[in-house]
Amino acid sequence: MAQRKENPLFGKMTFAHPLPQQKIEEGFAILIGENRLFGAELNPDIIKKEGEKRKFLVSRLPSRKKLISRWSRLFRDLVSPADFFELVSPKFQELEHRENILLVGKDRVIYDTQIFHGSEPVGEMTLFFHSVMNRNLGLLAYLRGERLRIVYIDHIRLLEQTSGYASALFRYYEKLFHDIGFHQFRLSASLSVGKYYWAKEGFDCSDRDAFRRMKEGLREFVKERGLPVEEIDINRLQRACDIASFRRDLKVPAYRNPEGYYALDEDEEHRDRQMFPLGKAFLLSSKPWDGYKIIYTNTPKKTGLIYSPEYLNHRPRTGHPENRRRLSKLLEAIRKDDLQGSLVFLEPYLPEMRFLEMVHPAGYLDAFRNGVRSGGKTFATVDCSISEASYDVALLAAGGVMAGVDAVLNGRVENIFCAVRPPGHHAGRESAMGFCFLNNVAVGALYARGVYGVQKIFILDWDVHHGNGTQEIFEEDPLTFFCSIHEHPTFCFPGTGRRMERGKGEGYGTTLNLPVKPHTADREFLDLFEREIIPEIETFRPDLIMVSAGFDAHRDDPIADLELTERSFVHMTQRIGEMADRYCQGRIVSVLEGGYNGSSLTSSAIAHLKTLQGRS
Amino acid sequence: MYVGRRMTANPITVSPEDTVVRAGHLLKKHRIHHLPVVQREELAGIVTDTDIRNTTLEEPPVDSRGEVLVQARKVGEIMTRDVVTMNPWDTIEDALLILHGRRFGALPVVEGRKLVGIITKADILAAFIDTLRIEGVGGVRIEVILPRDPSFLLRLIQTLGDMKIEIRSLVLSPFRDEFAAFLRIGTINVANVKTRLREAGFKVPELADFLG
Repeated sequence: MAQRKENPLFGKMTFAHPLPQQKIEEGFAILIGENRLFGAELNPDIIKKEGEKRKFLVSRLPSRKKLISRWSRLFRDLVSPADFFELVSPKFQELEHRENILLVGKDRVIYDTQIFHGSEPVGEMTLFFHSVMNRNLGLLAYLRGERLRIVYIDHIRLLEQTSGYASALFRYYEKLFHDIGFHQFRLSASLSVGKYYWAKEGFDCSDRDAFRRMKEGLREFVKERGLPVEEIDINRLQRACDIASFRRDLKVPAYRNPEGYYALDEDEEHRDRQMFPLGKAFLLSSKPWDGYKIIYTNTPKKTGLIYSPEYLNHRPRTGHPENRRRLSKLLEAIRKDDLQGSLVFLEPYLPEMRFLEMVHPAGYLDAFRNGVRSGGKTFATVDCSISEASYDVALLAAGGVMAGVDAVLNGRVENIFCAVRPPGHHAGRESAMGFCFLNNVAVGALYARGVYGVQKIFILDWDVHHGNGTQEIFEEDPLTFFCSIHEHPTFCFPGTGRRMERGKGEGYGTTLNLPVKPHTADREFLDLFEREIIPEIETFRPDLIMVSAGFDAHRDDPIADLELTERSFVHMTQRIGEMADRYCQGRIVSVLEGGYNGSSLTSSAIAHLKTLQGRS
Repeated sequence: MYVGRRMTANPITVSPEDTVVRAGHLLKKHRIHHLPVVQREELAGIVTDTDIRNTTLEEPPVDSRGEVLVQARKVGEIMTRDVVTMNPWDTIEDALLILHGRRFGALPVVEGRKLVGIITKADILAAFIDTLRIEGVGGVRIEVILPRDPSFLLRLIQTLGDMKIEIRSLVLSPFRDEFAAFLRIGTINVANVKTRLREAGFKVPELADFLG
């Protein structure tokens, strides 16, 4: 004990460079000398008894060679075992870790400790450190150590009066593990540091279905008790932490049993009535849930992704280019990519009609709903093929952009890509065309202005088609700059978007159309982008940048005649990122429009996402 | 396609007694190039911005004391009296051919000797833009080459009809020993239409292959 430093030198330590192997070996030697390092083996008996839970037993220490290689794989030699041990057992609020040990298993390192207040044991904790393969990264990336590093809070129990300790400890851990390069905390939120606590600390359900069930439970509870809560407010909840802070103004009772567990209904066991805010009471009494919290993404910017599997339910006729596979393929690729671990996944919600009506008259929305409900095969034109769920999915697409605006303007993410369908930029106030029904971007822009008071919005539309709907909606609005770069209307749908269309009335000058000739490729396209679009953004100085991001100008896309590659999308994303950093705190809400070749849509959208994250 | 439907009715006019300067100001103010000259409700002539320009190039007339008299010149002195006119029931094609053949910019439209309107090159262009639906949302131009046999045109329209593609305009013109059909169709999915037409045996030229 004596040779180890009393206080962690955490403040001065950096983990930027791997240590020489000798330092790692010395670190192991110190721990072995102190009798704090052991091997760990899975215990099959416990696995049998407890189902999925993985329990480990202390066993013989693995060979020196194995120790070194396992340590190196997980910690990339950025910290020595002795220092790590010290860092992971800090002293807070007069509580300290004792009888603590480090175990090295085949695929994980385990930290196990008792927590003491003076001589009195007040709790215990077990952490697993392990990594999982980012699927599809390949062997090379695996060998380079490009894995998702996870801290699993396997077990924690604390006496009730020490819950402030948990907050302090986990804030400290979050910084520590972030700096050592761990990506996520995970846990099963069922233990005595409660389900409410973890949600409040920003943990979210690992499984989206579990979150949906949680939300459903809340909805039922509200209904059952007749609480004054709007359906729409529940729809907008996206993460467990939203529930934790939901309706702090509305107190409801929860009933505590002698062991400290809560229920929403009084019964034999749960008799101690206490009043809590709605969200807290609900979570305190909720079923256990598996949670995770992203603590580190190796990307310079925090980028969100709006998606819902419900977007697949809009099903145009067979052979229609705007089909569900566009999105299912994209999402499949994202899940296999390391984007899965570094994007913040958020869900859309069904918007209130008043926000849609800022763009589309109620009469049009009614006609659209009736068109779908009456079982029509198309709405307005032959291009706008519909199915049973088309109306609801179109609403959810507009609500997806609203959720994206929420996330960016609340600072939950810096920028966001809304992978929605059906697309929106051809939809005018009262017209559906070109696969579009509701103008998603326009709804998002007016929502940002109406709810968050965003003044100047720059909408860049790089879909291969002119965004005639968005132009129509904003052509008289001097505060919304609409800029569309697209294939020339003489050759391409929808036949508008000529240079002389510069806006109308007060909005003259805040519309810019840049038609390009068929077969234009990256270089010429980007020259035009630099020469004409960048100066307009610089002059306009927007408070928010939105992108109608269609990827159908790609050379592999069948629908039009431009010859762009991913390079163009990367370049434009990078440059608007710079503009957003300069004028609007990096705020970009990007929205999927077209893109009809599965593989070029996927590769372009992924390149766009990675560039939004600030990766080169 | 009658002139009466496309002309500007009740155009701005001058009288032969008006000064050239006043005529010039009217042209400038209304951003137009032609002024019918009307006397007692009857067309007496036409004065154009070219006439006024030419006047300034002539040696200016002087009075007995040698002072320049430009101010005082009257429209009646410089106007064209022998005017080519149209009737409202003449066709746009007539007007087009005269405007093109005689290199005029505009033609007064009369009923008897009474002026009722004026038709200009700009009106004819507007008629073509409307007819071909060049402006406005939702149409894409495609070009199809057809043998000079009406059954092919019928099949073209049938093929598009089967695909439920809206034809917004169709122009058929001779092209070598074939027909070139210029269509504007109401769909975003042009690539698919072209593919289907090619599969059905039609010649669909690549972009910019044809007629520039």
